[in-house]
Amino acid sequence: MAEIVAAMAMTHSPGLTGWFTRAPEDDQHLALQATAEMRRRLEAARPDVVVMFSNDHLLNWPINNVPEYTVGVAAEHVGPADWFDEWLAMEKYRVPGHAPLARFVVNEAARHRLALAWLREMQFDDGISVPTHYLNPDARFRLVPITMNCTVPPIPTPERAYQVGGVLKDVLRAYPGPERIAVVATGGLSHEPGGPRYFWVDEAFDRWFLDLLKRGDHQALLRECTLERMEEAGSGGTAELLAWVLVLAFTAGPADVLAYMPAVAWRSGTGMVVWNELAS
Amino acid sequence: MGNVERCDKTLPTNAMMYHVRKDAALRARWLTDLEGLAREFGLGRAEYEAIRDKDPRRLMDLGVHQYYVPQILRLFFGAAQNSNASAALECYRRAFPRETAEAMALQERLDGRRG
Repeated sequence: MAEIVAAMAMTHSPGLTGWFTRAPEDDQHLALQATAEMRRRLEAARPDVVVMFSNDHLLNWPINNVPEYTVGVAAEHVGPADWFDEWLAMEKYRVPGHAPLARFVVNEAARHRLALAWLREMQFDDGISVPTHYLNPDARFRLVPITMNCTVPPIPTPERAYQVGGVLKDVLRAYPGPERIAVVATGGLSHEPGGPRYFWVDEAFDRWFLDLLKRGDHQALLRECTLERMEEAGSGGTAELLAWVLVLAFTAGPADVLAYMPAVAWRSGTGMVVWNELAS
Repeated sequence: MGNVERCDKTLPTNAMMYHVRKDAALRARWLTDLEGLAREFGLGRAEYEAIRDKDPRRLMDLGVHQYYVPQILRLFFGAAQNSNASAALECYRRAFPRETAEAMALQERLDGRRG
């Protein structure tokens, strides 16, 4: 059976590649240091495949038909989508997928009464591209991308994301292969992409949320960090943290917060987190 | 709930933006035939005019999903590294003067704290 070997989370702000040097030098240094440490820990865990949980920014699905979750099932993934080349200041990249695992997840989740849409050619924006740039730049790890809806109403609640995380943990572990799997959440922290507070970050919320992760008390986090609280800290963007809450279900105990930057220049509260202990 | 709850999932502009971002031929027409594009996708006059006028507040009041608003501006101005001198930021400054001023003041404070 497959084994979960690592769990981590990071911001996927397009500023982290697209206009990196516009942030203060301290933030640039901290971001590079923290992502290098994430990569070091990821490599030390020796995963065969990274299952990356992000959100679709209305790129893969039109607004009239947005699934809650979508799995990319391709044998090879190519990014970023053309519209994001300049925005992310990125050349095209290729990452091998893991089609048998991805298809297993879709079908096995259905047997757990969890509906997952799937795409053979999933397009990538910052959600997958930025973390891949920092954590898997040489494409040594196979990738299974899973995107979620956190921007089109009705937005799922943190409780729902945590419940889905629990189901996917069981599904991934049930895969009949020797694969070592790392789970990576991407998105957040506070930001309001395109909204009236587009150029704002909520440092107090971000530090409070990261402190909750450091406490490692999942029930307290679910009780206190409601969807309403996320929306107050930046509508349509802060709820990307639902991916972090989903990955929380794969973990136990406190998270290591490697870095936090209230990076207004990158248009997002920016953080990197690794969990040392995985759920039994 | 937050601003994102104001979007109108049935608004033609939201459907149009999904297709324009994916299609280079449609993107090429943005600067030369915006009115024709709007007609083809069934936009109302108010939607077309809010796009033409690059007005984030009117766009969101009509129900354009907030995520598409900067993308609409990018079609006019390019990416410009999302900088504080960008034309897109100027549009937000006009549409949301208080929120944008607060954000710029915050950035100044944070930069000072690091400097």
